Amino acid sequence: MRQVFSFVFTLVAVCLIAGPAYSQGWGNLKGRFVYDGKAPAPQPITPTKDQEVCGKTKLVDESLLVGTNGGLQNVVVFISVGPGDKAPAVHPDLKKAASEPVVFDNAQCRFSPHIALVQTGQTVNLTNSDAVAHNTKVDAFNQPINPLLPPGAKLAQKFTAEERLPAKASCSIHPWMTGWLVIKSHPYMAVTDENGEFEIKNIPAGTWTFQFWHEKAGYLDSVTINSKATTWKRGRVDLDIKDKASLNLGDVKVAASAFEG
Amino acid sequence: MQCLVMLRFRTLAVLFTMALVAVGCDSPKAEFHLDRVFLHKTFGEPESREEADSLRNQVQNLKEVMVGLFGNPDEPHVPQLTDLDTTTVLDVGLIEMAAGRVASDEAGRGRGLYREHCAHCHGVSGDGAGPTAAFLNPYPRDFRMGKFKFKSTPLGVKPTHDDLRKTIIDGIPDTAMPSFRLLDDDEVDSLVHYVRYLAIRGEVERRLVMEVMTELDTGDLILDPEDRSNALVEENLELVKGAVATVVGQWANAASQVTEIPSPPDQWDSHDSVQRGRDLFFGSVANCVKCHGQLALGDGETGDFDDWIKEIDEKDPASKAPDFLALGVVEPRLLDPRPIRPRNLRTGVFRGGRRPVDLYLRIKNGIEGTPMPAAPASGLSEDDIWSIVAYVRSLPQEPISRPEVQVEYTRERL
Repeated sequence: MRQVFSFVFTLVAVCLIAGPAYSQGWGNLKGRFVYDGKAPAPQPITPTKDQEVCGKTKLVDESLLVGTNGGLQNVVVFISVGPGDKAPAVHPDLKKAASEPVVFDNAQCRFSPHIALVQTGQTVNLTNSDAVAHNTKVDAFNQPINPLLPPGAKLAQKFTAEERLPAKASCSIHPWMTGWLVIKSHPYMAVTDENGEFEIKNIPAGTWTFQFWHEKAGYLDSVTINSKATTWKRGRVDLDIKDKASLNLGDVKVAASAFEG
Repeated sequence: MQCLVMLRFRTLAVLFTMALVAVGCDSPKAEFHLDRVFLHKTFGEPESREEADSLRNQVQNLKEVMVGLFGNPDEPHVPQLTDLDTTTVLDVGLIEMAAGRVASDEAGRGRGLYREHCAHCHGVSGDGAGPTAAFLNPYPRDFRMGKFKFKSTPLGVKPTHDDLRKTIIDGIPDTAMPSFRLLDDDEVDSLVHYVRYLAIRGEVERRLVMEVMTELDTGDLILDPEDRSNALVEENLELVKGAVATVVGQWANAASQVTEIPSPPDQWDSHDSVQRGRDLFFGSVANCVKCHGQLALGDGETGDFDDWIKEIDEKDPASKAPDFLALGVVEPRLLDPRPIRPRNLRTGVFRGGRRPVDLYLRIKNGIEGTPMPAAPASGLSEDDIWSIVAYVRSLPQEPISRPEVQVEYTRERL
């Protein structure tokens, strides 16, 4: 019996410490990811079919894109909410954003954007701006879909369950096409831009577990911040977000070896 | 609160006792093995000895948790976690009828039906890698992803009980899957429950592998039998329960999501309708021609793979398969990761059935686990789909589908 009491006590204590429920205020997180090494030029893709549409623009393999200044593009950042964790409160400004649809377009035989950020329950408009048909096969763990999208199509899709990892999107008709949908139950996620930069705004103050993922490297578990080698187990790090403050991770370097194989 | 905690401890204790009983016996009983392709793909190659050791511990722990939840092939369990009604999806009595060794009870009723009729192709674990599997084309279905092709529900939704019954009773034409029409009704039901049990087992395993990968720290166990004082145990128990509840819930909801099939319009298989179906087949909206080819021989897109082969590697499974073989994983898909072939529509043989409603469902919903997409929600009306059904049904009747037998190949009697 005593054991049970001590367990309950621990549980309550843990709840009190871990729960950011009583926190007030909102803060931001930003940073810049840098490819540490000589970046390879993206491999060009030669379309094997529908050249009259797909051959119009230069297509490249987008699995690793590095900007001229070494910025690592397409790093996905999000708050990880484990089972039993309290979901982060949503800032009033962000509530409205969730009612706006996200567009995931098939344009010139590539997915645009390459990585889309989607909240559960939010509408994703799967569209096709091309003059040829595409299908968008999303291999989501909880809700796989594969609709055919004729030219000009617009399909409103919703995902009801959060996905632990970004879900891969592909087109069976044009096998080179790859994209990703990051599906989370909250709005606190971002993708780094061509400079490697990201910013997540209006995070409730408190300690949150952030996860960092890249489609080629998987979870970013070995990084260098301020020339200090750091291990983020499975790409996870706990960060303290303070009210009215912006936490800047600075330059986060990822070794070229993380992207091999 | 206290009561709730006690209850959870009891669940935990039951889970562990089940695991210990099952693992403790050192007899050569049949056992389910973990999906090593998925494991290896998820965790990758360990970089150090420590990493390899901690991974081995995690995997061993996962295996014990799986035995605690589902038992083993001779003594299957239905996961008994609180606040979850599993009975409609997993009937213990029917599962026991299909499980274990082939035998019969005092009343002469069959036992071990799965091993009698299914396991030699589909494997004891339902991995589609039974002893005969490597010789078959297509390979027998691997149930562990929980994906089934021929069903009355949309993509992403599980097949209904009747869908699986139909596949068992009718078999699948043009494959090695025979018809089991001669089995009694309850025997077919028993096999459906058992297939569902294997699928759910496989899916829960996949989810737990993902949870270990994404939610646990390196080396942490899902449920550590020696550490009960920790809040982590409670958290991880929720994780296991969540995985079971999600998968069982998906199966339980299938029946309420059956696609409604509108009755075909008058004259749906008239000459005009067939012509319209033909135009749609080649048109840019339905675009069937892209994969099924100009001649509808299935010669359009031929370089793609189904989801079971794509698990090895999305783009180039043939070059990655040897990595898994080197680990000692022997599965037919690794020995020969064949591309998927779009159906040759001229033979008149359709795997999911040749009735108009069967073809309607394949076109309307697409085919799970394959590149065949669902019909677009706009731009293709129900009548259009019926016209395509009519055209597809007319293809085997076209003269070029039935070339005349050439006389020089006929054997003459002396």
